[in-house]
Amino acid sequence: MPAGAQVSVIEKQHLQYKKNSLPVPLYAIPSGPHESALRKFICAQNDLLLIFGARREPPIASAPANTDTSIAVLTSVGYAQLKAEEYLGAIQRLKPDIVIGLADLLIGPKPGIKRRVKMVDRTHAFTTHATDNLYGPELSEHSRSNAAYFAPILPLENTQQQLYLEDLETDLRPSISGLALYEPASLSAVPESLGDLPRLIFSGPETPHDLLREVELGADLLTIPFLANASDAGMAFTFVFPAPSADTSPESNPRTEPLPLAGDLWAPSNTTDTGPLIESCSCYACQKHHRAYLHHLLSAKEMLAWTLLQIHNHHTMDFFFAGIRQSIERGTFEEDVRTFQQTYASEFPETTGQGPRLRGYKLPTSGRAQPRRYPPAYGRLDIAAGKFAESQSDLATPDTGADGLEEHGFAEKV
Amino acid sequence: MSTTPPRKAMPSALTFDLERKCSTTKARASTLKLPHGSVSLPIFMPVATQASLKGLTYDQLKQTGCMLCLNNTYHLGLKPGQAVLDKVGGAHKLQGWDRNILTDSGGFQMVSLLELAEVTEEGVRFLSPHDGTPMLLTPEHSISLQNSIGSDIIMQLDDVIATTSPDHTRIHEAMERSVRWLDRCIAAHKNPETQNLFCIIQGGLDLELRKKCCEEMVARDTPGIAIGGLSGGEAKEEFCKVVDTCTGLLPEHKPRYVMGVGYQEDLIVGVALGADMFDCVWPTRTARFGTALVSTGNLNLRHASFAHDFKAVEEGCDCMTCKPREEGGLGITRAYLHHLAAKETAGAHLLTIHNVHYLLKLMGRARQAILEDQFPAFLRSFFTTLYGEKPKIPSWVVGALQGVGVNVLED
Repeated sequence: MPAGAQVSVIEKQHLQYKKNSLPVPLYAIPSGPHESALRKFICAQNDLLLIFGARREPPIASAPANTDTSIAVLTSVGYAQLKAEEYLGAIQRLKPDIVIGLADLLIGPKPGIKRRVKMVDRTHAFTTHATDNLYGPELSEHSRSNAAYFAPILPLENTQQQLYLEDLETDLRPSISGLALYEPASLSAVPESLGDLPRLIFSGPETPHDLLREVELGADLLTIPFLANASDAGMAFTFVFPAPSADTSPESNPRTEPLPLAGDLWAPSNTTDTGPLIESCSCYACQKHHRAYLHHLLSAKEMLAWTLLQIHNHHTMDFFFAGIRQSIERGTFEEDVRTFQQTYASEFPETTGQGPRLRGYKLPTSGRAQPRRYPPAYGRLDIAAGKFAESQSDLATPDTGADGLEEHGFAEKV
Repeated sequence: MSTTPPRKAMPSALTFDLERKCSTTKARASTLKLPHGSVSLPIFMPVATQASLKGLTYDQLKQTGCMLCLNNTYHLGLKPGQAVLDKVGGAHKLQGWDRNILTDSGGFQMVSLLELAEVTEEGVRFLSPHDGTPMLLTPEHSISLQNSIGSDIIMQLDDVIATTSPDHTRIHEAMERSVRWLDRCIAAHKNPETQNLFCIIQGGLDLELRKKCCEEMVARDTPGIAIGGLSGGEAKEEFCKVVDTCTGLLPEHKPRYVMGVGYQEDLIVGVALGADMFDCVWPTRTARFGTALVSTGNLNLRHASFAHDFKAVEEGCDCMTCKPREEGGLGITRAYLHHLAAKETAGAHLLTIHNVHYLLKLMGRARQAILEDQFPAFLRSFFTTLYGEKPKIPSWVVGALQGVGVNVLED
């Protein structure tokens, strides 16, 4: 069943605690034998499925290279090598519901011939090692992991990872509960004998059209990085699946213009619009607030803007996937997908506004091609003074001139 | 200054029921009925500066028990502006909040935020930050904006200067000008039947000026009275003297609001000195920087010592953040908030919920103690817990409470 997957990536806390020999807080939390320490640490509800992966989604290209026994990841305290051994320990200790197996992936550039061979060998070794240690026959009943292991399928041709796939189909088959895929092409290449396993795909879809294409190809769980991106950009999703049929739309003549996938709440047309984000939407944001408020919150850079947009956009995605499941059950999926493609624009509207203030690990990574992460060292005192001023006052500066202020009734020119 | 001009009686859109006075101190428990519901006093009012309380939804704010919050006239005047407020139908409709709103006059922000602001008899003169055009904000502009906002309590435009200013002539002038501006605000106020205009007592730290101001402003018979110009870095002893002097001169049957107070010790001393209402951005701002308010003081959750602390922010606290999962709360731990601090805005939201709830609850406990005439005992236990042991209670607290008949150092 397709569903908006909840992927939780806990940042590696090791580096901070290595220095003073304290245990990593995540591992130190007292938890019962069948209790997930991860769930307890992040104070998550019991009915929330926890999927545990080594990389954030979408992943960030890492400067150091992977090795035979570890993968390079970007943590909240910089790049680090995550050892396969450590990852295993984390799974055993934290008890997530689903584990994404380690894979030697090259993020960004396409791997060359030699690297491809290495990728397969390493991933094969990671999978064998992990499944042996988590579910091996020599383990006692209570030391065997309850987490469902999703084995990675590399974004390569089947012929290039033949040995690994054969092993997944035979020796490894009893230990794996699902597959983790990294490109849509892998969906149609999954060997038949692994066909009954759920497939979670990390392909970085950019629109709901991409999601539908992947579901059509057989994806079951999908990650949706465009959801948070849209919220950050001040966009409220406007699409539903199946698309509303042309005769139920207000004008009875067939549509000429495709419908937009999202509405931009930065647009000035929202300034005094007291309608909901989407008519008939039952989400909290649409039931309790109106466009004029969202527009105000965005332009005032109030955090609530992005909270409400996330609520609305998540709600829209939940309905989108519910629609997909029903459509598949009815047997009308392919037809509904065609209608959706004809009804909606192929891209999201262009972003006009600014996003929220970035914090911590959300800051862009540094690199030669990236803009400077930190401002220049000189003039630091000015920055400190600026920060101090910010902490001292909820400073608001009018972004209009004297005429604007007078028009606002704020004050008059003299 | 001309005194006692002929004045029409001022309508009021509130009722104030004084339920019980503490038999020792000047503390009062009362109920303020405003157009958007009843408010139990004494109360702390959180500040939703730009029509939003820093990431919280209004249902989350309701869950803290909040019945009255602040919006800032200065900020709403800039964004979304008067035309939008008129079109949308006021600030309640804009932000989807059906409980009470109080707005300040915008004068304080003008003076503190804008460079080259100059106060003249007409109003506050300033240069438009964008194009440098000279502009003027008058008492009439402020009231007109607050009428468009539609807040339940509106504040007069006052002439604000730092209490620590050494210029006594200027302080005197500011006090007298604030009285004259009050008259202009009363005259400009279009909705006295639905919005309550509060005057603001000025006069710096000069008790004689404060007395004079109280006399003049009380004569104007506004529905409520604020004590302004404090919390500007003056010594705590001075702060207490001013509050004590003013409450001594104010009529008993009107709410008294001390502006800009948000530290827990200041709030409780303020209540003992006879004030009913307080506001401050500090509790919610400090939450965003990772500081939690608890009965033993303030916890800086960014400190490494909290990384392994798997307790609730405050054991027994029934805010959504602290309440255990089994009781329907979120069961958030100090370690998790430490982990989130400065990485995820969710951490800021969770602490904001706790801090607002904590202060509302604290005022509720003070109120209950007054109703049961146990307030002196409450003061002793509150300050002993807050500072850990009696000798650590600061002398200004001891002195202020001694002045109202309570020795916090005795058992």
